[in-house]
Amino acid sequence: MKKLRPYRQILPWIIPGILLTVWFAACRFGWVPDYLLPDPFRIVKTGYIYLFAQADSGPYAGRFLADASASLLRVGFGFSLAVVTGIPLGVLSGRVATCRRLMSATVNGLRAVPGICWLPLALVWFGIGMRTTVFLVALAAFFPIYINTAAGTRQVNPLLYQAGAMLGVGRIRGIFAILLPAAMPQIISGLRLGLGLSWAYLVLGELTGVPNGLGAVIMDARMLGRIDIIIVGIILIAILGRLSDLLLNTTLCLFFKSARRSA
Amino acid sequence: MNKPLQLIRTLPDIKKEQPALAIRKVSKIFPSDDGYLNVVDNVSFDIAAGELVCLLGPSGCGKTTLLKLIAGFIKPSAGDIQIQDRRVSRPGPDRCVVFQEDALFPWLTVSENIAFGAKGLIPKDRLAAEVDRHLEMVGLGAFRDYLPKEISGGMKQRVALARVLILKPQLLLMDEPFGALDAQTREDMQNLLLSLWEEFSHTIVFVTHDLVEAITMADRILLMGSNPGKIRSEIPVNLSRPRKKESNAFHSFFRNLRSRL
Ligand SMILES: Nc1ncnc2c1ncn2[C@@H]1O[C@H](COP(=O)(O)OP(=O)(O)OP(=O)(O)O)[C@@H](O)[C@H]1O
Ligand SMILES: [Mg+2]
Repeated sequence: MKKLRPYRQILPWIIPGILLTVWFAACRFGWVPDYLLPDPFRIVKTGYIYLFAQADSGPYAGRFLADASASLLRVGFGFSLAVVTGIPLGVLSGRVATCRRLMSATVNGLRAVPGICWLPLALVWFGIGMRTTVFLVALAAFFPIYINTAAGTRQVNPLLYQAGAMLGVGRIRGIFAILLPAAMPQIISGLRLGLGLSWAYLVLGELTGVPNGLGAVIMDARMLGRIDIIIVGIILIAILGRLSDLLLNTTLCLFFKSARRSA
Repeated sequence: MNKPLQLIRTLPDIKKEQPALAIRKVSKIFPSDDGYLNVVDNVSFDIAAGELVCLLGPSGCGKTTLLKLIAGFIKPSAGDIQIQDRRVSRPGPDRCVVFQEDALFPWLTVSENIAFGAKGLIPKDRLAAEVDRHLEMVGLGAFRDYLPKEISGGMKQRVALARVLILKPQLLLMDEPFGALDAQTREDMQNLLLSLWEEFSHTIVFVTHDLVEAITMADRILLMGSNPGKIRSEIPVNLSRPRKKESNAFHSFFRNLRSRL
């Protein structure tokens, strides 16, 4: 890999550096009151307590593991649901014109509904807790996965099928040997978009009064006026979101040649 | 017991008389804005086993369409296509196509592309050796692990050739396979194909719109005309092989052919 020149390497860090400095100065010189924005050191300290302190040694102490695993479970469940429905339906409507016509109006109509509108309905249907959140996550992640899979499989060069047919590949094997690999770049971008939305809707689902989860912690901290916890929660969600995206990408690359080689 | 034996005994004679490929009154009509487009119009011809026939015609006269009909990718609107005595109804590895455009699988390496169709036909323990042999045959041994996007157009066509040759097809359908190559590479590829053909004696239908290429390669040239696509005439090329493009016989054949276009 080509080595970047030093100034290029620091380039992405300049804006965060400036923001951090301004934040720090604002707190030190009292430009903003502490109860609106605690200074960065407090955040680090709170973060440390939330992550590593002995559980029950203080409010929020050591709760991270329980919250994160609850949230990850919900995202994992909802996202998996979206994958196992979105990809097959996407392939169907990408390849079969009848299915495309059958589904397009419905899907586009549902997609136009802002995800947050489903929240009250989901609460009535599923009650507060795991199932509402999983439902919201699955619903939100479904659309980008479905739409990208449909678009990707629809645009596959017909020559590749003809080549496959002449090389003795039947219809069913063709789906796995030709269709999915050829559409892989778009399927991947659908999955990544879907995963990003999963995290957004996770927080939405957890704001509704579930006892655990990162979204719940943020909401809880708001009631108690713990701005530092809110900020710690936001940062942790950002980090987990990014890590799960990396994990998704690595997993796909590990299992699919076409994912590895589409970059 | 008696009857089947008799049948087996007579089979070779039948095969000799049967053409390798028989096109019988084939037409293909595509719907278009103003009604329909008669792209292939009542075409009939035979090709003998081991024969190399060039389909020569201007752009848009229906050469690719005719080839796709033979390959079984599309169905004729009328008429009948037979290989030996079986009617063509769908694509199969007995009739392989080298496409006009790049149709390699972009997510597979050169050697994986060549192995793709052979997986089901060649036992696992022999597959790697066969792929290697075909890589060498088309001179791509050093590029086995490259992806299609990392090799040149000429190399891609060689991969496309190797991935069908490995299936040992009776019938090779080639759609302007060297059309996009420079003069030197094109000549190398023609020589490669001819030497393979002399070795394995496949039956080849070779589409081109290049007169020199047709005269270099063909046992027989089928001249196509457009609107609607028809076989206008059939010209045997009775020049001895290997054919020298500089020779007088070649030149006079070329002039003769061009005057008939
Ligand atoms: N699937 C299709 N639907 C409608 N029209 C088609 C279709 N395929 C081909 N055609 C038309 O048939 C005609 C012949 O096309 P074809 O590709 O067979 O020509 P060609 O002889 O191979 O030309 P070239 O030398 O440029 O490759 C063209 O006018 C084309 O527009
Ligand atoms: Mg063509």
